[in-house]
Amino acid sequence: MEPSTSTHAHHPPQSFLSKYVFSSDHKVVGIQYTLTGLAMAAVGGFLAYVFRYNLAYPGSPIPLFGELSAQQYNEFVTCHGLIMVLWVAMPVIISGLGNLLIPIQIGTDDMAFPTLNMMSYWVFLLSCIILLASFFVPGGSAAGGWTMYPPLSANAYHNTNPDFWTALFSGNSLVIIALALEFVSMLMGGINFIVTTINKRAPGMTPMRVPVVVWMLNIASVMFMFAVGPVFAGAVLLLLDNVIGTGFYDPARGGDPILFEHLFWFFGHPEVYVLLLPSLGVIAEIISVFSRKPIFAYKTIIYLSLVSAVLSVMVWAHHQFVSGIDPRMATFFSVGTIIISIPFAGIFLSYMATLWGGSIRFTVPMLWAIGFIGVFLIGGLTGLFLGSNTFDIYVHGTYFVIAHFHYTLFPIVFLGFFAAFYFWFPKFTGKTLNVTLGKLHFWLTFFSFNGTFFVLFFNGLAGQHRRINDYTLFPSIMQEPYITFQKVATISAIILILSQFIFLFNFIYSLIKGKKAVNNPWNSSTLEWQTDSPPPHGNFHTYPVVYHGAYDYSMPEMKEVDFVPQNLPLEKKTI
Amino acid sequence: MFLFRVFPDNISTYGQEIDDLFWLIFLFASIAFVISVFLLLYPLYKYHHKKAPKAQYITGEKKTHFKWVTIAVVLLALSDFAIMFAEHGTWAKIEQDPVTADLQIAVTGRQWNWIFTYPGKDGKLYTADDVMIDDQNSELHVPVNKNIVFDLKSRDVVHSFFLKNVRLKQDAIPGRTLKRWFNCTKEGKYEIVCSEICGVLHSQMRNWLVVDSQENFDNYLNSLYTNNKPKQ
Repeated sequence: MEPSTSTHAHHPPQSFLSKYVFSSDHKVVGIQYTLTGLAMAAVGGFLAYVFRYNLAYPGSPIPLFGELSAQQYNEFVTCHGLIMVLWVAMPVIISGLGNLLIPIQIGTDDMAFPTLNMMSYWVFLLSCIILLASFFVPGGSAAGGWTMYPPLSANAYHNTNPDFWTALFSGNSLVIIALALEFVSMLMGGINFIVTTINKRAPGMTPMRVPVVVWMLNIASVMFMFAVGPVFAGAVLLLLDNVIGTGFYDPARGGDPILFEHLFWFFGHPEVYVLLLPSLGVIAEIISVFSRKPIFAYKTIIYLSLVSAVLSVMVWAHHQFVSGIDPRMATFFSVGTIIISIPFAGIFLSYMATLWGGSIRFTVPMLWAIGFIGVFLIGGLTGLFLGSNTFDIYVHGTYFVIAHFHYTLFPIVFLGFFAAFYFWFPKFTGKTLNVTLGKLHFWLTFFSFNGTFFVLFFNGLAGQHRRINDYTLFPSIMQEPYITFQKVATISAIILILSQFIFLFNFIYSLIKGKKAVNNPWNSSTLEWQTDSPPPHGNFHTYPVVYHGAYDYSMPEMKEVDFVPQNLPLEKKTI
Repeated sequence: MFLFRVFPDNISTYGQEIDDLFWLIFLFASIAFVISVFLLLYPLYKYHHKKAPKAQYITGEKKTHFKWVTIAVVLLALSDFAIMFAEHGTWAKIEQDPVTADLQIAVTGRQWNWIFTYPGKDGKLYTADDVMIDDQNSELHVPVNKNIVFDLKSRDVVHSFFLKNVRLKQDAIPGRTLKRWFNCTKEGKYEIVCSEICGVLHSQMRNWLVVDSQENFDNYLNSLYTNNKPKQ
């Protein structure tokens, strides 16, 4: 089909409501997802502050909160985990970035199904509201750990709430319902991403000319769709166990709790890679632009991502080495887990190789990107300890695991997001951010994050087990240096949370008072930078035609500038 | 290496192998970390735009370029397999290979303590004269240098039986009976904790492992037989 040259096939929305609230424009939906995700991050961060304070100073009242009971402690650690993974990471990294970037980077006006896209956001918002409501029902929210292992989260819970309506509106059931709605929303988003990328690429945008981040978002969406079915079924069975007292996970009636662990982790592990890949894509864009070099081994990175996507659905049981699965099966999953380090090592080394021979500019997004690689490196390498089934016998369920997955998920979700935020903010708002505040935000976040979680590796190696609100009964933990380490972690975590106010200030201040951004502040060659900042409704004034790859920087023939926009032929490389 | 001890006292026959495995992986991970940090930070200094105003055009698609990544990845793969090779024996020893039981007991998780069941005078578990200890804070007495084989069960929810000093952890799953073993080499009193969240008093679920000499253990068992009524 020959596209029309004008993108204004229909009128842009006029009223405030249809323009900014009930909008089907991919940019507005992306911004809505991002802001909702950040608001949820504030909730998740506050929960973290409360229980971290409690861990450093057990028993003393918590400023801005008060006394924390054991039940509330369990609720808070549970909901912190759920919120951060499913209501922050997913909307910000997948839906936010995917909606903002995919249509504009492939050179089209909107998603393939704009209305479905809008609906996916509203279903997501509904799931947020149901989740938050779960805190305010009698008995409080879910408190069985974010992994929600039955029977604790199922029959044990149902036995105390045998009445149907009480059980349906209990915190536990509400969380499961919210979870299911969230999956529905992400599925609607994911199908949109894939169809849009396959069908709506600009003429000349061949698969191997698509920016890495679009590739990664699509691979992640496919992985998500592949993995989400079992956990969705698992969640429905869990809800039935909760509400009408079925026995899917009750051994007394022929059920099996291990079944849920498999269904959960079959999704839960690929989920980490679902988040990692888009974040890696963001880093690829940034490193390439600010090294003024093509991303090293573009095609190999794509192939390695595909390999890792396939491997990632074959390693889930490494979360269950001590669950009582067959020991011979554990060996298989251990080998798989350790092998998955190979494609990711290839990707990360390619990123580092991109820096070699470049002409590096230390902009704010570049700082976040470098920080991402450095921090994720520790997360990845400590994964070797946990991937080894034998050593996992000792550290499973300890603070070592906590430190490890925060070293992977924090860079993925926050460092990756902030890199993207500082990079694309000028494009999508038309305003420039304050550079000094951006750098201050980076350094404070970087050091306080490491201060929070690095010490916890040692607590984990000392055998400190998780999800305990008060360690007074455990003399092996109530000794130096582990008490001090808990305090260091708490104080750093408070600094980490406070430094985000710099970001908030910079965000709001720049939005109102920031200098007007130029169309292409970073001299980038991808399509989103070749239109207005912010892009008009329909993204482009005329549909772009693509002539070459996304990363043709510093080609030897280029004289005055070192890049050519993707929508200009390479022959114009001397402009 | 550090200013404090990394691991708590090891008291089991296989604990040292797990600690050694940590140091082996730590060695590989440290080397990988140092090399990667160098590869990450050195170009930031060397190719800063003030020193290198024009970037080189390297796509990395040529084999001559990519070989450096390949070499590094192969090295990583080799260390991966070195780790797998080093650990598989220990895994088999702890989880797979049968051992001859010097003492057979049963450990059952419940909200919120561990229940210990000793065989009665007939020396056999699951007979009428078994002795069961079901108390918060209660002690699991075992003889030193003996293979203790235990059946791990749960009455209500998932618990996780964690003996830090033995380096043993195993989830207790309702509806399943799992057989594990340990052999303590040092007398003393050590923590038994539950490392899987199991409800509101999860934090209070703690018992003690007491490793006795054979003589003290026999005395303890005899006192149990005289003081406790046999299980119905």
